[in-house]
Amino acid sequence: MFVVVAGVGSLLFKLRLEKDLAWGTMRTFAQLFLVGYILKFIFDIKNPYLVILCYTWMIFWAAQTISGRVKEKDVRLFAPTFVSMVVSYMIVAFVVTGAILQVKPWYTPQYFIPLGGMIIGNSMNAISIALDRLFSDLRKESDTIELALCLGATYQEATGDILRAVIKAGMIPSINALMTVGLVSLPGMMTGQILSGTQPLTAIKYQILVMLMLVASTAIGTAIVVHIVRRRCFTKAHQMALS
Amino acid sequence: MRIELRNVSLQHDGKPLLFQGINLALESGEFILVQGASGVGKSSLLRLMNRLQEATSGEILIDGKLIATYEVTSLRRNIGYVQQTPIMIPGSVEDNFNFPFQFHSTGAQKLPGLDEKQMWMDTFLLEGVKLSDDAMKLSVGQKQRIALIRTLLVNPKILLCDEPTSALDQQSKEIVEDSLERLNVEHGISIVLVTHLDFTLSRANSRRFLLQPNRLEEVSVSIS
Repeated sequence: MFVVVAGVGSLLFKLRLEKDLAWGTMRTFAQLFLVGYILKFIFDIKNPYLVILCYTWMIFWAAQTISGRVKEKDVRLFAPTFVSMVVSYMIVAFVVTGAILQVKPWYTPQYFIPLGGMIIGNSMNAISIALDRLFSDLRKESDTIELALCLGATYQEATGDILRAVIKAGMIPSINALMTVGLVSLPGMMTGQILSGTQPLTAIKYQILVMLMLVASTAIGTAIVVHIVRRRCFTKAHQMALS
Repeated sequence: MRIELRNVSLQHDGKPLLFQGINLALESGEFILVQGASGVGKSSLLRLMNRLQEATSGEILIDGKLIATYEVTSLRRNIGYVQQTPIMIPGSVEDNFNFPFQFHSTGAQKLPGLDEKQMWMDTFLLEGVKLSDDAMKLSVGQKQRIALIRTLLVNPKILLCDEPTSALDQQSKEIVEDSLERLNVEHGISIVLVTHLDFTLSRANSRRFLLQPNRLEEVSVSIS
């Protein structure tokens, strides 16, 4: 019904979006049902290897997406982004599911997979922003970096300010979300819980946990990836390797 | 300190060979001038000597040992490099002088005192400039000299100068030429200077070279 209304609007205003709307709707149904069945299968089996495999698959595609989104020919990005997302989520997931929610075992798929999905989605944006900024700042400030190197700085010392600015840039969307949550918009996860009958106060507790978890994982993931990628922008002899 | 280039070639990724078979030796206390047209590889030649770049082939020896055997941050403090465009750190002239001393590789090297900073400012005829002045607001000629002093405060044994006078008016050019010559003659600092312009030296123990594609040739007179 909603899509039909949007389709009629598209026809009236000659937007030519009818085909995209129809195709998008079909894909939404197909993709989400498929994911639903896969999740049900994984939840039922409760095999830790299957959970890890599913999680690795999600991160693999996230790392591929970032490599494609950040246009950089001098440095390979897949491995650093993959490693940073695995490490950041493992730390956060272990704390959240194992220590805070006290889920046993801590890799219980009902918790591990959906939380992982949210973290990966957020980390993807933060890491893309941070890497874009890292490459543009390194190139823009190459003369100043070279000045510091010539005066005896290591590449870490020569790029310390840039690194801090880049991590901040990656963190800003998560921090903005903390500032505006509940005022500008209601988060999708919380809305979904309330619609499915959960008490608002319970939904809010989970939402706060998720928001803080996202900030922590974004901070850890961004910091790791930026450190690894910065290392790859320099040679062992502290020479800039970017063209 | 002695630098020797043996049969050195350089080619940047995906580009034609910049130069090959270059042989050059800088003896302690010597002043070497390398002239050549733009784009012939003069800056790259300097950058090889403080390991900002690696040679594609050949050997670079510092006091008889391969350049790669030296710890790179300490190598760069001993072989100072002054960039063609003087880069100022936002802040005062003094902030710029103190800039190299925040790095770990400085180790036990003491922050230079006001007397030392003032002595170098007098040497480079910067009487009108105060340590508290905003470095970003200085003229190009003044910035060039501040950049030279900043490198000298680290006490390098060799100074690599990349087109130090190319952006200067005649008066500033003469001051920088004279100051660099005094550095060499009075302070014993070895200098390799590359330029596409004429460069006047009257007292220094100097040799002049002309860098052409694939050839570095010693010449007896300045090429302008």
